[in-house]
Amino acid sequence: MDQEAARTARESLDLAFHMSNILDTGLDRHTLSVLIALCDLGVNPEALAAVVRELHREPSAPVPMPSSYQTQKQ
Amino acid sequence: MEEEDQHKVADLVKELVLRLLTRSPGAGAGGGGGDPPAAPPDPLRLQSSLRYAFRILSSRLTPSVAPDATALAESIKRRLATQGKSSQALSFADLYAKFASKTGPGSVNNKWAVLYLLKIVAEDRNSASNGLDFSGSLPNLDSFEAELGSKSRVLRDREGERNGWSNGVLLVAKDPENLRDLAFKEYANLVKEENEVSEEVLVRDVLYACQGIDGKYVKFGTIVDGYILSDLVKVPRATRTMVRKLCELGWLFRKVKGYISECMDRFPAEDVGTVGQAFCAALQDELSEYFKLLAVLEAQSMNPIPLVSETASSDNYLSLRRLSVWLAEPMVKMRLMAVLVDKCRVLRGGAMAGAIHLHAQHGDPLVHEFMRRLLTRVCSPLFEMVRSWVLEGELEDNFAELFIVGQPVKAESLWREGYRLHAGMLPSFISPSLAQRILRTGKSINFLRVCCEDRGWANAATEAASAAGTTTRRGSLGYGETEALESLVDEAAKRIDKHLLDVMYNRYKFKEHCLAIKQYLLLGQGDFVQYLMDIVWPELSEPANTISSFKLAGLLESAIRSSNAQYDDPEILDRLRVKMMPHGTGDRGWDVFSLHYDPRVPLDTIFTESVMAKYLKIFNFLWKLRRVEHALIGAWKTMKPNCITSHAFLKLQRAVKLQLLSTLRRCQVLWNEMNHFVTNLQYYIMFEVLEVSWSNFSNEIEAAKDLDDLLAAHDKYLNSIVEKSLLGERSQTLHKSLFVLFDLILRFRSHADRLYEGIYELQARTGNSSLPSRDKSKARKQKNDQSLEPGSLITDGRKALTQRAGDFLQNMRQDLDAISKEYTSLLEGFLSQLPVQQHVDLKFLLFRLEFTEFYSQSGLGK
Repeated sequence: MDQEAARTARESLDLAFHMSNILDTGLDRHTLSVLIALCDLGVNPEALAAVVRELHREPSAPVPMPSSYQTQKQ
Repeated sequence: MEEEDQHKVADLVKELVLRLLTRSPGAGAGGGGGDPPAAPPDPLRLQSSLRYAFRILSSRLTPSVAPDATALAESIKRRLATQGKSSQALSFADLYAKFASKTGPGSVNNKWAVLYLLKIVAEDRNSASNGLDFSGSLPNLDSFEAELGSKSRVLRDREGERNGWSNGVLLVAKDPENLRDLAFKEYANLVKEENEVSEEVLVRDVLYACQGIDGKYVKFGTIVDGYILSDLVKVPRATRTMVRKLCELGWLFRKVKGYISECMDRFPAEDVGTVGQAFCAALQDELSEYFKLLAVLEAQSMNPIPLVSETASSDNYLSLRRLSVWLAEPMVKMRLMAVLVDKCRVLRGGAMAGAIHLHAQHGDPLVHEFMRRLLTRVCSPLFEMVRSWVLEGELEDNFAELFIVGQPVKAESLWREGYRLHAGMLPSFISPSLAQRILRTGKSINFLRVCCEDRGWANAATEAASAAGTTTRRGSLGYGETEALESLVDEAAKRIDKHLLDVMYNRYKFKEHCLAIKQYLLLGQGDFVQYLMDIVWPELSEPANTISSFKLAGLLESAIRSSNAQYDDPEILDRLRVKMMPHGTGDRGWDVFSLHYDPRVPLDTIFTESVMAKYLKIFNFLWKLRRVEHALIGAWKTMKPNCITSHAFLKLQRAVKLQLLSTLRRCQVLWNEMNHFVTNLQYYIMFEVLEVSWSNFSNEIEAAKDLDDLLAAHDKYLNSIVEKSLLGERSQTLHKSLFVLFDLILRFRSHADRLYEGIYELQARTGNSSLPSRDKSKARKQKNDQSLEPGSLITDGRKALTQRAGDFLQNMRQDLDAISKEYTSLLEGFLSQLPVQQHVDLKFLLFRLEFTEFYSQSGLGK
């Protein structure tokens, strides 16, 4: 049963990774697996996406004020 | 658990940040797991990034779309397709299908979240690469600023208009040079001039009218029977027409509402019926839906209409035209409701459901769906009644709405008359045959309960319900599930009918009773009948008013005891009674005696009084036939040629002897003729009628599936006996002539008896005068009378005797001739009538009676 679960998990990850590549997200396999784990734990995907974006962009831009984001988005 | 999750999240986020930071310089290098190992980032940067990440995560960003993975996948696919990457779109769809099919342990639970994440990250990257589209991402303030700075405001505005950035808000009003604006203003003035009342007010009035309330300008006119705009108000004709059209809804609403309140008022006092109540409730629900719509519309009607009024800011305004679009659908529904209300005003119960059902046959899916919803509500009480009737035998019908009507009757006529179908209340979606089955199933339950005092049907009903896939609880059937209803009824009918027949056969021994009736009432038990005939003969020859039925009962008892009938079930024998029919003056015992079988509950459903009357009729016929046969046999006993008579013949005077012989011969011939007739008739009744019918009946009992079948089979059995035994309506003349024949035969019997008595007497006299021994005296009478009997007195006496004998024989002979003549003519009449009968089996009787074509020949001879 565990083996089965592991196999399913691996296949799911493969599929997700393929999709990610098609969508050209630029995420590598490991990062994707971490993200999926977070999603499964119930973390808001939009926030996760924001983290990925911000940290990608970080070298080019300094840390902005997050408080302004909330007001804007709402 | 929470704690643990929190920890996990923290660890994972840390891992994520680490990963992202180590490879963020090479952001474009997305692909493959083979990332080059990068130098770990400096801890300070790592810390700040981590904090930032947590802050973002703890923010209350909520997804802007509803969580629906499939829809999301579809939108992604479509996006890819519109971007011209159709092959990728296809492979994405394929991958998603596989991804979605992974379930169970180890698979991704929150597929939607993963997809959504991927989508947003992808979009982010896209926007980052072309640096234009920021919708959907957190705007990065400084870059936004920078961008703004790089372009002039005017340029951006223009560009905005062209690209549709400003979300389609028309900014024309702020442009003084715009010609359209001027035109609109002019139009607004024109409209204002033409209309005394602004459109908003009219819209509000129409909305009021739609709720059946008079507005300020739109009022209900009793003359035109509808809501109209007051003539005093100056508005264009088009507006007036439109208001009028819209207000049709108000008129319809008034009608529906009026019906509902009328029903509600009537409810406790008069019988609206549960179906009527359900109909009202369903209408009420529809109306409350309608009210909801009106509430929304009313809220919208508060917004000013742009162009006409100056402040043209709102977009959710309501004009008359918009209103007519909004109200199109409610209009259709309301019209339907009004039509139904009109239809159903006088109808109740099943008839109402049927009438509504007729309207449900509609091609428009909107109407169809609406009617279906309505009918589900309306029919639910009806189906509930059917269900409880079929499964519990309860007629929960306080308002006489069901198509089954019950009436209080005695137990024995419960099956035949207790319940019947009410065709007027049968809705058209239940076929008559189904209704018939529904009726019978419930009737069976009631019959079992009332007449058989049986409880086993409850199990059968539960079984049936589970077999049909429904439960015995309430509300499991609904309109449109006619198949379900049918299967339920079928299952229930099958089981309950079977149970009923089992009870009838096993507990109440139906077959045994039928057989007993055949054996005793239809005289099938030969030895018993013979014995009974023997012992009641003298009794029954008495006048009817001197006969005691107790004595006859005693005789019946002894007949049973001395025949094989004594081995029969005592319970059956117990039911066999002697019945004396009411007698008139001059009736003999034969006319009033009959046997009766007491069927008792529940068998009296089958053996009703009329059925027993038929049995009685058959019994009387058979009894008479038996009696005639018995009489003929009795005659034969005396007529049989024996040595006494033959001796007597030898010694008689020649002339007298000849006379005697010819008379006896005449008598024998007549007897033979009669015997031939009676024996063959008896044979025909026994083997062509009773046994054949019984064998058919037995087969039909085996094949019977329900009590109705059984009743039909029994009726058929009885009727075939009645018909074939010439007891039917059509063969009354034949029957009469048959009875005349019987009477003639009985008369013959008494004549024959008299003849032989006379002979014996003659013998005795001659014997007395000659020898002590009667035998001898007769033998020697003629020879010795002269030598042995001296004196003229004796000679005179002998002469006189001879004379008397001669006279007696003369008389007898004349009588016999008369009887013979009458008999021949009667029989001829009977035989000539026989072929006229329609019944095919009577041919066999004719064939038997006239096997040698003797009668037809003699008839021809005449």
